[in-house]
Amino acid sequence: MIRRALIMSALAVSIALALAGPALSGSNRIAVTVDRTAISTSLGHKFSVRSRITNNGGSAASSLVAHLNVLSLRPDVYLDPEDWSSHRTRYLPTIPAGGSVAITWRMQAVNAGSIAVFVAVLPQNGEPRPPATGPTVHVSIARRTTLNSGGILPLALGIPALLAAVSFGLRRRRRASD
Amino acid sequence: MVAVESTARPRAWAVVTGQELRDLWLGGRGLLLSLAFSGLLSALSYLVATNQALNFLEQRESVNLTLQVAIAVGAMLALLGGADAISGERERGSLESLLLTPVSRLELTAGKLLAALSLWIAALVVTIPYVWFLGRGIGIVGDALATGALVGTLLAIFLVSLGVLVSIFAGSNRVSLSVSLFVLLALFAPTQFPTSAQQGWAGDLFLRANPLTAGEHYVGKIVVDGHHWSQDVSWLVSPAIAAALFAVLLQSPVRASCN
Repeated sequence: MIRRALIMSALAVSIALALAGPALSGSNRIAVTVDRTAISTSLGHKFSVRSRITNNGGSAASSLVAHLNVLSLRPDVYLDPEDWSSHRTRYLPTIPAGGSVAITWRMQAVNAGSIAVFVAVLPQNGEPRPPATGPTVHVSIARRTTLNSGGILPLALGIPALLAAVSFGLRRRRRASD
Repeated sequence: MVAVESTARPRAWAVVTGQELRDLWLGGRGLLLSLAFSGLLSALSYLVATNQALNFLEQRESVNLTLQVAIAVGAMLALLGGADAISGERERGSLESLLLTPVSRLELTAGKLLAALSLWIAALVVTIPYVWFLGRGIGIVGDALATGALVGTLLAIFLVSLGVLVSIFAGSNRVSLSVSLFVLLALFAPTQFPTSAQQGWAGDLFLRANPLTAGEHYVGKIVVDGHHWSQDVSWLVSPAIAAALFAVLLQSPVRASCN
């Protein structure tokens, strides 16, 4: 009876551990949080996301890399993350047990649409384990036309036309005087 | 009462400048270059205002892009004018008769230099409506034009002096224009460097030492970042030195040929 109870307890603990994963080992002891999860802005505008990387483990965490990921949630929008932020990889200093590091990611909205941004933290040694990731920040970029595109046409055509007319007039005058 | 007649005559360099300006502008060459320049600015500003791919640019960046192209191309026009100054006369067979006129060579060169600079002044005047259109409503038109005028004038003086200097020594007009354009392209090359190469003390020094990159950087700081004109004034050191140095250097071969 006691033996059966012990086996059942051991089985229950094993299942619980398997479901919970190695809570304080590997990258799971690293938690990533962000200051907001939804941003609405316009095309061309600059915005930033502030993330905090916390070491929940019992020992200091060193040699970590944080990476900013930017992707379009719609298949019809091509997005190059390099255009959004030129500084997307940060090499973190050692984070003491219970300590944290704050990183501000500055971006520029280059494409209109529905964009996802998230931060992943992984070890520098390339250990094959899932990186710690923060929550997805959903960025809605509204299309924006700051300039009056129709209004430029008279100017774009008018100035060369004016110079051409003056040039033509001078040429005629020169020919008449010759 | 005795009336005293004024015997003041216009200075020789002013006469040369007037003649050169008439040749350049009434002859049609200056207007043709300005027409091509306005065509370029029209295409650029139309693209900036209408193209979806470029439309994400902030209004300040649109003004900056247009102004930087205007400065670069306007200064290039002035360089071409300078590069044609002496070698062009030599090639057209008019240099000897010009040298026989009672005008010192220094005044002759000064007149040609000022006439070539008028190409930049015209380019600046043509740029005004484009910058006004792109920058209105955000209060940067005045600052952008003043900065463009300052930086563009320094670069134009430097490039015109360089062009005239090359033109004095060049065997033919073709050589003069080729060498001047090659030097201009070499000066523009650092703008195509990757961002990583422009960072660090060496990259910074390189950008500051090159009058063209330094001048364009200063314009960007004022127009895009909204800095006060005195905040990044150190970036104007190399354009100012280059303008002064080449204007002085130009006098040496001219004075030497006078002796």
